Amino acid sequence: MSMLSVRRPTRAVQVGKGVAVVLLLFFTLFPAYWMLVSALDARAGLGTSFLPAEPTLDHFRFVLTEGGFDVFLRNSAVVALATVLVSALLALLAAVAVARFRFRGRLQILLMVLVVQMVPLEALVIPLFVQVRDLQLLETLLGLVVVYVALALPFGIWMLRGFVAAVPVELEEAAYIDGASWGRMFRSVLFPLVAPGLVATSIFSFITAWNEFLFAMTLLGGATDSYTVAIGLRSFFGQFSNQWGAIMAASTLITVPVMVFFILVQRRLASGLTAGAVKG
Amino acid sequence: MSSTLPVTAPAERGTTSAGAGGRRGRSWVARTRPWLLLAPGLVVLVVLMLWPLVRVFLFSLQDYGLPQIVSGEQEWNGVDNYVEVLTSAQLWAVVLPNTIGFAALAVTATVALGTAVAVLLASLGTLWRTVVSSAIMAAWAMPAVTGTYVWIWIFDADRGVFNHVLQTLGLQDQPVNWFTDRWSFYAIVLLNVVHHGFPFVAVTVLAGLLGVPKELLEAAEIDGAGAWRRFFSIIVPQLRQVFAVVIIMSTIWDFKVFAQVYLMPGGAGTNREVLNLGVWSYVESFGQNRYGFGSAIAVLLTVMLLAITVVYVRTILKEDEL
Amino acid sequence: MRRHFSTRATTAATAAVVALVAAGCSGPDGGGEGGGATDAEGQTLDVWIMQGTNPSADTFFDEVGAAFTAQTGAELNVDFIEWADAHDRFVTSIAGGTTPDVAETGTTWTPEFADAGALAPVGDHVTQAGLDGDLVEGLVDAGTYEGELYGMPWYAGVRALVYNTEIFDDAGVEPPTSWAELESAAQAIQDEHPDKIAVAVPGDAEFTVYPWVWGAGGEVATLEGETWTSQLDSPASQDGLAFWTGLAEQGLSSAGATTWRETDVLDAFAAGDVGMAVMGSWTPGAILEANPDMEGRFAAVPIPGQDGGIAPSVLGGSHLSMFSTSENQDLAFAFIELMTTGEFAEKWGEQAGYFPGQTSLLDETLESTDPLVAPFAEQFVDGGASVPVSPAFGAVQARATTSTMMQSILSGSSDVATASRSAAEEMTSLLNGGS
Repeated sequence: MSMLSVRRPTRAVQVGKGVAVVLLLFFTLFPAYWMLVSALDARAGLGTSFLPAEPTLDHFRFVLTEGGFDVFLRNSAVVALATVLVSALLALLAAVAVARFRFRGRLQILLMVLVVQMVPLEALVIPLFVQVRDLQLLETLLGLVVVYVALALPFGIWMLRGFVAAVPVELEEAAYIDGASWGRMFRSVLFPLVAPGLVATSIFSFITAWNEFLFAMTLLGGATDSYTVAIGLRSFFGQFSNQWGAIMAASTLITVPVMVFFILVQRRLASGLTAGAVKG
Repeated sequence: MSSTLPVTAPAERGTTSAGAGGRRGRSWVARTRPWLLLAPGLVVLVVLMLWPLVRVFLFSLQDYGLPQIVSGEQEWNGVDNYVEVLTSAQLWAVVLPNTIGFAALAVTATVALGTAVAVLLASLGTLWRTVVSSAIMAAWAMPAVTGTYVWIWIFDADRGVFNHVLQTLGLQDQPVNWFTDRWSFYAIVLLNVVHHGFPFVAVTVLAGLLGVPKELLEAAEIDGAGAWRRFFSIIVPQLRQVFAVVIIMSTIWDFKVFAQVYLMPGGAGTNREVLNLGVWSYVESFGQNRYGFGSAIAVLLTVMLLAITVVYVRTILKEDEL
Repeated sequence: MRRHFSTRATTAATAAVVALVAAGCSGPDGGGEGGGATDAEGQTLDVWIMQGTNPSADTFFDEVGAAFTAQTGAELNVDFIEWADAHDRFVTSIAGGTTPDVAETGTTWTPEFADAGALAPVGDHVTQAGLDGDLVEGLVDAGTYEGELYGMPWYAGVRALVYNTEIFDDAGVEPPTSWAELESAAQAIQDEHPDKIAVAVPGDAEFTVYPWVWGAGGEVATLEGETWTSQLDSPASQDGLAFWTGLAEQGLSSAGATTWRETDVLDAFAAGDVGMAVMGSWTPGAILEANPDMEGRFAAVPIPGQDGGIAPSVLGGSHLSMFSTSENQDLAFAFIELMTTGEFAEKWGEQAGYFPGQTSLLDETLESTDPLVAPFAEQFVDGGASVPVSPAFGAVQARATTSTMMQSILSGSSDVATASRSAAEEMTSLLNGGS
């Protein structure tokens, strides 16, 4: 608890911190580490060892060919990308509206955005299943994208609202004085300044689309060719329930892209979150 | 996507005469611009979130099964579904305690651990802060589905590393199947959910912590306030908004855990002891074709979450802050 | 599809959807105009087959596809789906109107799907093809709903007791012929190999449970007039359940098995970790596929009755059913006929270890002397039984009534009497159309 203290930390505090760091690293990294070790071990499941007993890449080869993960990964990438692009655009437009304009119904809309975030997916899955069915979009990736955009939107609006509000109005007015139109001001002043917020929002919609399970399972049904990674993994587990090496290799393939992405953008993510979450 | 652009185009063209924002110009364009900007998003939210919410409520008042879905006929049965849900012993003995108890535990654990980690991070040097925050990013990045399978593998009865270590250390003679008991089942779910959820809290609270003016803390320290005191009397009030957000978000997420339960051995309905509201609604609807009954359960879950939202919105987010 | 949407495309968001739909819906499944089965050029027949039945299913269906195209001109598109979530997937696709043209349906599901109006009757096609009279009776009965045949008998299977001969030799025991012998054999194996699973008692595999209920003289459910009554909690049934779960209680199974499905049993057995288990006639091939070292190291016997004899085991199997969404039913039946008769039916049975659904082919198989076929054939003929033939039994399976009972007993959270009573209550209610 020597946080932000002006005094020099005592030795005991230093040791305590060291222990805490070690424990934390263990807790955060062990699952990923264990996943990787099992994925690389030809003897995974046959004995317990903390380093690959028989290192191999066969599991990866297997899941990418016979396991069908080449297709699942591609499907997920397409779905995630489409979701990110569409939801970022829609969220930005809406965020500008609620942050920059005072109009009747603004408060109600903000409340609605806050409230729909609370709605459990399980409540939406039945009617959306029927709705997507009526649109004849069951078993298609498009049907999934449409739903994911809706799921990602409320959080995106809520977060970007903070970013837009944080841009000083004076900057905008300066642009108008220079004779810029609203559209030009939007492009050259507002947009660059909220870009970090867009990154944060995009990460959230990306995760939503990449990780989502319930709708993928319900809306894609038996269309194995359109499976995303989450339900692809479930179907793979059903088939090879005891081949833990292969299951972990598949899990690694699903996790690594997200992980790299996360670690790369972590600084922006932090600033994005605080700006969006805190600045009212 | 590209077809949303034409909608905003007239607004852009009209701006030259309208002036900045909605504060100066009172023209038609200025008044409608916010609505034009909002329109695409609102349409999506209304069509894909609000209308389905209305429909799930309508379904919950019907005997809505496979024949009704296929034929499109409606068989209204009033509040029968609700009566059945609310009089079900399952609901009171198993499902509600699992849902609410788990969410309470998970939110507490996530927020407590996340805050502790944020405090720890704030006190570390640059190098270690980078190392530790990269590690928690890795935990955050692990998708719920893969994370769940990794935890299942770790706790697998016969070949999992957890039982192996316990047996090597002589702490247990026989492998234990951790998935059959309600408490150990949810302990694993808790581990899974906290592991995935605390990084969000840590990162958010850390950012807030770094924004707390140093002078305040220094002054308090010179006045002799201890570390705990400084934390609760200076930092917590400063970060009220931050905590509000992380608690709201964690509550939303933890009430709705689905994959983390559904994918666990026995979690998809075989082990009735571990059902929560979400899984119960799903297996009744899509397993038993009782979409009306499942909808009633879903409505119950929604009402509970909305109640929580209202409480939060009223107590923490004041109107003028919106 | 574009026309269908244009009336609603009043907003930007739906306009976007339309654009994407229009781009994405030019799939190959168009066509579907009448046309005889033999002239179906350009059409595609979508088929769902259960995964894991036949280890060489991929090559098998490549051959079938080629033959089918040669015969009809149409393409065959086979999707393999998991037994474990097949029921949910069928139901969801029926609700969503996305059913395939033809699918393999478990015999207990066919009446349920017919009841939901999802299947097209095949009786007329069967008569036209001159196949009636040559179909295995039990499978015809299971595929008949309200007097109409909805499921074309494809294959039947039965579970018997499969054991690891090496482990049995090590422990110096013989394959059991009664429950007392089974228990003492398991005990001997446990003493010899404490690290192995003497007898696998899986918690999530209902068809491995019923033989013990029947073997003790109990019943799963009985029909009186129009009313079903589950007998899982009768004293005899409880006896059988107590014996079977008692093996696990004595530590002769494994803690992990409490959440095992049949595929887990298979994996553990193939790895050589299991002394004996109730396994299907289709598993020998799969065992060898998973671990070729098992060649010659396992054998099968009929499931022993309580005091000798044979305990009845579920005569399971699959139909090929035609869905009412199928646009070209002649084409669909051409495929069904190709699969269930002659060369391909025989080959499937051999590769997968199943008994064909055509009587003329079945008789041949039953005379087999193959040591991994004969015991199953004996079980099939002398110890075959059926689970309740009711469209509602699918609901019982989906609710996992029996597995729930087994898991609660095996995990120790409930005793046989209590668990079987609540399972019986639930089953009775579901079978009579309740919930």
